[in-house]
Amino acid sequence: MADPARIKTEGSLEKEGFINEENPKTEHEPAAETSAEMSHVFCCTLKETEAAADDEEEGTSGQPSSKRPKVEPEKKKEKRHKVDEDEIQKMQVLVSSFSEEQLNRYEMYRRSAFPKAAIKRLIQSITGSSVSQNVVIAMSGIAKVFVGEIVEEALDVCEKWGDTPPLQPKHLREAVRRLKSRDQIPNSKHKHILFH
Amino acid sequence: MAEEEDEQGFEEELEDGSGGVDAAGHGRRKRLFSKELRCMMYGFGDDQNPYTESVDILEDLVIEFITEMTHKAMSIGRQGRVQVEDIVFLIRKDPRKFARVKDLLTMNEELKRARKAFDEANYGS
Repeated sequence: MADPARIKTEGSLEKEGFINEENPKTEHEPAAETSAEMSHVFCCTLKETEAAADDEEEGTSGQPSSKRPKVEPEKKKEKRHKVDEDEIQKMQVLVSSFSEEQLNRYEMYRRSAFPKAAIKRLIQSITGSSVSQNVVIAMSGIAKVFVGEIVEEALDVCEKWGDTPPLQPKHLREAVRRLKSRDQIPNSKHKHILFH
Repeated sequence: MAEEEDEQGFEEELEDGSGGVDAAGHGRRKRLFSKELRCMMYGFGDDQNPYTESVDILEDLVIEFITEMTHKAMSIGRQGRVQVEDIVFLIRKDPRKFARVKDLLTMNEELKRARKAFDEANYGS
């Protein structure tokens, strides 16, 4: 199986790729201040997470009672560092070249999230017992990816049918039908009889 | 058969006039995620002002998705409870969701550790 981290990055780059296609002729408008600030914010966030990761890893590998061989994890760590740094640099270059509208959309993409309280209430109303915070975090994250998959598929359908955004219910329904046939939407209502 | 039921479900939500007991029940509930879903749709490529019907359909899809996942998670692992391991197990075949959950949980751990270290540093000084 391919490295999940790789797949995730490709997934998010796909989204940005779509945004670029949408505004092919939008040149670099002189909204320099906003772009610079926004890209600075995003780059800082990326760097901080990377820095936190660095500190954590150095902390754990410094323990003397570690049983792991010393050479292997260092090599992997360096390779992962290089891959991450390349990734971060590419993201910086990309985000710094966004137009104002693209920056808005990217900001919405990164910042939008489901409210944890509502998700927690929903899950607890189904289970009847309390759930841990990690479950809520995981479920909100998966739900957001789910929405992304549907919206992307619906935009494909919309383009294929020669319509323009905003998306209409018929696009969403066709997208759901397609995703169902690919088994990406769970459905436990239909009981599959094996031999009939 | 299943597809027919789904289509009926959608139409009931669009009507929304009936709050009847025999309806799917989705139209009755107050909209939980309208604002957030609008921002999300814009972020994923839709128009800046998506149609309200589309937002409603997506909300129902999300609620159904979460409900399905919760029921499945309750039936595996420790019965009657939803734990993170169960969710990760259910999502293992879908590369995007799996990677995202792993990232989120890892980042959460790092943030917790960073905050703890920061608090201890403050407490010391």
